[in-house]
Amino acid sequence: MTSEEYANSSVDYRLSRDSSSQLGYKVSVKSLNSWFGAKQALKDINFSVKENTITSLIGPSGCGKTTLIRCLNRMNEMTTSATVKGSVYLDDVDIYDTRVDPVTIKRRIGMVFQKPNPFPTMSIYDNVAAGLKLNGVKDKKLIGEIVEDSLKSAVLWDEVKDELGKPGSSLSGGQQQRLCIARALAMQPEVLLMDEPTSALDPIASSKIEGLINDLKKDLTIIIITHNMQQAARVSDYTAFMYLGEMIEYGPTKQIFENPTKELTERYISGKFG
Amino acid sequence: MLTRLLDLGLNRISNIIMDMANLSVRSVDTAIDSYEKGTGSEQQIFEWSEQLRVLQDEVAELAMELIARYQPVATDLRFIRSCMEISYGFSRFGRYAYDIMDIIGTMGSISHCDKSSVLEMASTAREMIHMSIKALQTQDKNAAEKLYVMDDTVDALYRKYLREIITPTNKKEMKEMAKDPRCYLSTLLILRYLERIADHACYIGDSVHYIATGTSSPRR
Repeated sequence: MTSEEYANSSVDYRLSRDSSSQLGYKVSVKSLNSWFGAKQALKDINFSVKENTITSLIGPSGCGKTTLIRCLNRMNEMTTSATVKGSVYLDDVDIYDTRVDPVTIKRRIGMVFQKPNPFPTMSIYDNVAAGLKLNGVKDKKLIGEIVEDSLKSAVLWDEVKDELGKPGSSLSGGQQQRLCIARALAMQPEVLLMDEPTSALDPIASSKIEGLINDLKKDLTIIIITHNMQQAARVSDYTAFMYLGEMIEYGPTKQIFENPTKELTERYISGKFG
Repeated sequence: MLTRLLDLGLNRISNIIMDMANLSVRSVDTAIDSYEKGTGSEQQIFEWSEQLRVLQDEVAELAMELIARYQPVATDLRFIRSCMEISYGFSRFGRYAYDIMDIIGTMGSISHCDKSSVLEMASTAREMIHMSIKALQTQDKNAAEKLYVMDDTVDALYRKYLREIITPTNKKEMKEMAKDPRCYLSTLLILRYLERIADHACYIGDSVHYIATGTSSPRR
């Protein structure tokens, strides 16, 4: 793949689409229901995420947060018993439409997981370049540029630029997580899903990741799961509270944490249950 | 259910606020009784006023600690913020009580003065203080509206007296004013302090409304 082909391939999926959502929403979820076998995990989820914002999903364990974000980029399909009904729109196109290529969706909607998972046998450089190479990019100069840009965007470049050949696993926990973020950014996603990205990190590393997340939102739309309510309050523009598979309340973070409308939300965020 | 650590702090701040409420009521009552009957001690009210100021600082310190340690949200956060405002209100009640005593002390004997205007407004102001404290205890979000209606009465009384002073209607009134201006000065100044007490009672009602609803009181 040439550099020009790669640059254009980020919009290469098979349906014609309007690249800007009519109401400024990057992701819209409509009547989303999900099951694992007979057990319903998500019940009639409806919400929309504005472009270039950070939305946090909070709720007690088992409420469906991870199931929901895995539905947002069709990662749920990797679980054999998982079924989905409803729609998830990315820029007005339903990603569950049969004509949509799920691989392209996963490129446009990147994901970072709780436990940093750099490819253990690969160098720092190769970790970031892995996705590009798998997608057929062969131009070494282009790969080098993208790797550098991605590591800079992940605020890791200055710390690793002289040791790009070292294994990814040689980095600290916080650095490994930023490496994983760089790896996701190399694919030039439009949306980034983050499943408890700092829960395995110390407070200083967590603080750096939070600062990074805030910087990234100027280019991306970010949805983050967190068990740390204070983190949700610090980092996000919008917050969604989930409970037993339902979205109980969704709104601006300031409103959710200062004056939630639902009593269940108030009780959860005040630490009265959960 | 296990008590939250935050609840221990919230209970402590509530207790300080109620102590301030009781002390401010005592201060204002004593000051007005002193005006009416010539009893009471300026020194005592000064000490109460100082005590209220110290308690206000204690509320602020405790509020900061609770916010720093426990990152409260929603109703808890609104309550803590409002406690800082409410404690200021009670501290002002104490200060105005002291100011009233100061006027009485400065003017000397004013037992011959017509006290009806002051006593009329004082009755309303005292009722407003009690209403604001009850609203706080019962979390009555509708009290603010009632307090503002009473505040209108207080403001009207104050403006009426002010007009009477600055535009005496006849020579007899002007002669009386010139004879002993202390009566009019003391009345005017005390009415002013009572008018401010009424305002702060309204602000306490606003804070209660905010704690309960998360929104500003409609009148405000």
